[in-house]
Amino acid sequence: MHVSALQPFFDQKGWQPFDFQKQTWDAYLAGKSGLLHAPTGLGKTLAVYLGPLVESNGSACQVLWLTPLRALAADTLRALREPLAEIAPHLEAEARTGDTPAALRARLRKKLPHTLVTTPESLSLMLTHADFAEKLSGLRCVIVDEWHELLGTKRGVQTELCLARLRAWFPGLRIWGLSATLGNLTEARQALLGSAFAGSVEVTADLNKSIVIETLIPKEMERFPWSGHIGTRLARQVADEIEKANVTLLFTNTRSQTEIWFQELLALRPRWKDKLAMHHGSLDRAERDHAENGLRDGSLKCVVATSSLDLGVDFSPVDQVIQVGSPKGIARLLQRAGRSGHQPGSVSRIVGVPTHALELVEFAAARDAALARNVESRTPLKRPLDLLVQHLVTCAIGTPFEAEAMRREIQSCHAFVELTDAEWQWALGFISNGGGALAAYPRYHKARIEQGCYTVDDKQLIARHRLGIGTISSDPAVSVKFANGHTLGTVEESFISRIKPGAAFVFGGRQLALVRFRDRTATVKPAGRVLKGQVAIWGGSKFPLSTELSHAVARRLQGHGTPSLEMEAVAPILVIQKKWSRLPDDESLLVEHARSREGEHLFFYPFAGRLVHEGLAALVAFRISRESGESIHTTQNDYGFSLTGKRGLVLDEDTLRLHLAGENLLDDLVACMNTAELARRQFREIARVSGLILQTMPGKKDLSQRELQSSAALIYEVLDRYDPGNLLLVQSRREIMEKQLELTRLSAVIRRLESAPMHLVETEHLTPMAFPLWADRLSATLPAADAATRLETMLRTLNQAAGQP
Amino acid sequence: MSPFQQHRSLSLLPEGAVFLTETATLIVADIHLGKSAAFRAKGLPIPEGDSARDLSRLLALANKSHAAELVIAGDLFHAPTGVTPELEAALALFMTRLGMPLTLVVGNHDVKIPRFPAGLRSVPHLDLEERIRIVHDPAHASGDRLHIAGHWHPVVKIPDGKRTSLRLPCFLFRKNTLVVPAFGSFTGGSILDAKADDRVFVALREQVVELPAALLS
Repeated sequence: MHVSALQPFFDQKGWQPFDFQKQTWDAYLAGKSGLLHAPTGLGKTLAVYLGPLVESNGSACQVLWLTPLRALAADTLRALREPLAEIAPHLEAEARTGDTPAALRARLRKKLPHTLVTTPESLSLMLTHADFAEKLSGLRCVIVDEWHELLGTKRGVQTELCLARLRAWFPGLRIWGLSATLGNLTEARQALLGSAFAGSVEVTADLNKSIVIETLIPKEMERFPWSGHIGTRLARQVADEIEKANVTLLFTNTRSQTEIWFQELLALRPRWKDKLAMHHGSLDRAERDHAENGLRDGSLKCVVATSSLDLGVDFSPVDQVIQVGSPKGIARLLQRAGRSGHQPGSVSRIVGVPTHALELVEFAAARDAALARNVESRTPLKRPLDLLVQHLVTCAIGTPFEAEAMRREIQSCHAFVELTDAEWQWALGFISNGGGALAAYPRYHKARIEQGCYTVDDKQLIARHRLGIGTISSDPAVSVKFANGHTLGTVEESFISRIKPGAAFVFGGRQLALVRFRDRTATVKPAGRVLKGQVAIWGGSKFPLSTELSHAVARRLQGHGTPSLEMEAVAPILVIQKKWSRLPDDESLLVEHARSREGEHLFFYPFAGRLVHEGLAALVAFRISRESGESIHTTQNDYGFSLTGKRGLVLDEDTLRLHLAGENLLDDLVACMNTAELARRQFREIARVSGLILQTMPGKKDLSQRELQSSAALIYEVLDRYDPGNLLLVQSRREIMEKQLELTRLSAVIRRLESAPMHLVETEHLTPMAFPLWADRLSATLPAADAATRLETMLRTLNQAAGQP
Repeated sequence: MSPFQQHRSLSLLPEGAVFLTETATLIVADIHLGKSAAFRAKGLPIPEGDSARDLSRLLALANKSHAAELVIAGDLFHAPTGVTPELEAALALFMTRLGMPLTLVVGNHDVKIPRFPAGLRSVPHLDLEERIRIVHDPAHASGDRLHIAGHWHPVVKIPDGKRTSLRLPCFLFRKNTLVVPAFGSFTGGSILDAKADDRVFVALREQVVELPAALLS
């Protein structure tokens, strides 16, 4: 077949191929790999899929389509089957994911279709089958959809490793990625293609996608901004906007916020009872399907959702997107905006709803950056050894491998280019005999070396490994069910254990009363009208404001940018800030000092996002109290952080510079952040990925496995005691610093602050910027003391409360 | 000093053991020797060390407390695959050095072990002093005498009001049963679901203290 064979397909649809589509076909047919970067819409799928279709011959499996979410597989399959039916009706496309029914799975084990849609986890799993390479022998192309979602995650690295395996099997393989806009597209392409990067191409679909970002301006601006509020104050105005549009997708930043907004909208418009749905990651699949289908056929008025709906699915009827609360990042806002006006050529429109005054500035700033396409980067992960050892076992199960050849294959991945000898030897030891610390691992073996090749042939071991493939660690959740067995979704144990039987709570848009909580199941019944329950809350870290958006906000505060309604509305507050102190920016550092009944306060505004501020606050507090012995309370938000102490917080540049210095940064952070405890928590995921803890079949209690159950915390302690050089411990400490504190960003901020001018202002009142920091008394900092000291403190407090000496 | 009015000879040791002064009996539970070896036998790379550590801790405790007799309230062993020749040798050496009678109240894990080492007396339960019985599983307690049991690996979780909490191994006294914490280092714990009238004791530095009810809710 030739490209001209595609013309009838386009003619019949009444379409004209876009330039970027032709470019992609040509590059593909010239044998090249690449990355296609385009806004969402049908155009992308056709661009990357029609090339492989044109050159198809025979019906053997020739195209692998990787999708990051198994929930997207069905939609993807629909989108692929359409051109397939027109152009090559004799060819088949199927999906193989964790959701695939056993019968189809069995059929796919026998013969693969021409196009196979799958996820990174399922692809890994298929690598454990000895005949997989043979079944794929006709493979020409792998397409990785939504690569930007995988990039920077362990699943992204898992994808890289699987691709390396396929490249080693089929040297002529072409790999194409699809990505939304990123600040580091070239790096994204390097990560996707690894050693196949040379000679590859980047295709950009410049469709001039129009994006409109508007903000709901509060009718009555309050005098002071507050942070941390749910901000349903604008609910009436939001309901009016929803009224005006056909179908609205309303995004919030957390699952709890989703529950709250759903209740709020229902209270304001009871007649929307059947036209309003919600969607978040803890809802049962059936509940989510209801929302998705309603968006697809336009039968719903509005769906309240979290990031669970950020991805992929084509919801053509959606004509309005609303973002409640800070957008946090520009890429995220663009992605969400792109959920409306999905068709090529139409306008994507998003309406921002601030929950406090400074978020008005954020929306104005996000628009500046979005129009300039100044979008965040996603940094690919480097050398996650837990995944490496998982992948090595996966490979050894499938086809025995020779160490040197495998090392070359692994190092052909972007993530492992810099793999050291020590790391490689350790990984081989970990999967075979205990490696470097051999003496500590008597009688251990997993992979055996047979004729110079690593192989795993123990049937039980293979079965257990297959069960554990994948990297998404799911924390044990409690399922919420009615007595008749109907499942609503999951909540966290820490939440449900605080609810007493008979008491009400809000979940999945319903008022529920807890009947009982036993064996990881919370049985519930609908609560009576009178009961007003707590909204379910979930843990999990909040996204920090991105560097790009922080910078755009700082520029807005300095008066840059075109006049806007948002800045006009927030102006009175900024005037006060300027009068009492000054407007902060990210080129210098503003520090304010104030006194109150509680003592003294210092407020710092580095504009580096919540996580970095948490680390900086803990660091400075630790350094001050090390000298003075005074205890210091800290708070932080996306703009800055505060320190509160009884006395001794002085506004002196030399002292402050000393406390913000980069010297001994890592040691001091380790000392003040209770990193040991944090690393132990992070270890759960690593232990699971590397196969140190077993994955049990969901819903099944396997008694024969019981003797092999252990908690990650316990294994962490044992490793720390008897094999302290274990590289997984090192990885755990490194990951937690990055995850909890954004260590890379924090170090960069410290460097910037070292040479930045400092503005010190003594303020009489708490300024508008300081007020939310002062008001936010909930400190997330972990106590650094040991268990005995903490227990003594608790006992003492209790005694004092009881009036004893 | 005993926290129990009716059993003045009974004391709780911060190492997680019970001591009966009248007969100089030392009681511990749930050591789970050979657990890491059992993991390794199944292809899970957990390093060795805890079995040796636990035996030497136990030996030190027996000497320090001047016990005349040592009783394990069940689960001395973890699994048959964990009973390696190395472990058998270590255990034989331990018993020689111990120099006092050693009794095992057979626990649910011990049941699967085909052969116990020579010199180890094993019993389904053990009656000591007047009105004290040692069992492994608290569910096997009956009647109104005092039972000392293991099996649960009790751990108490104390929230500190700042979104974090302490997890501490503990003694649990419920109805007429005293459940002792697991002695083994590589043993998890299960967080107890405190009931009214439970008494909970934890080690705090060199002592055992009873937790006020206010910390248990």
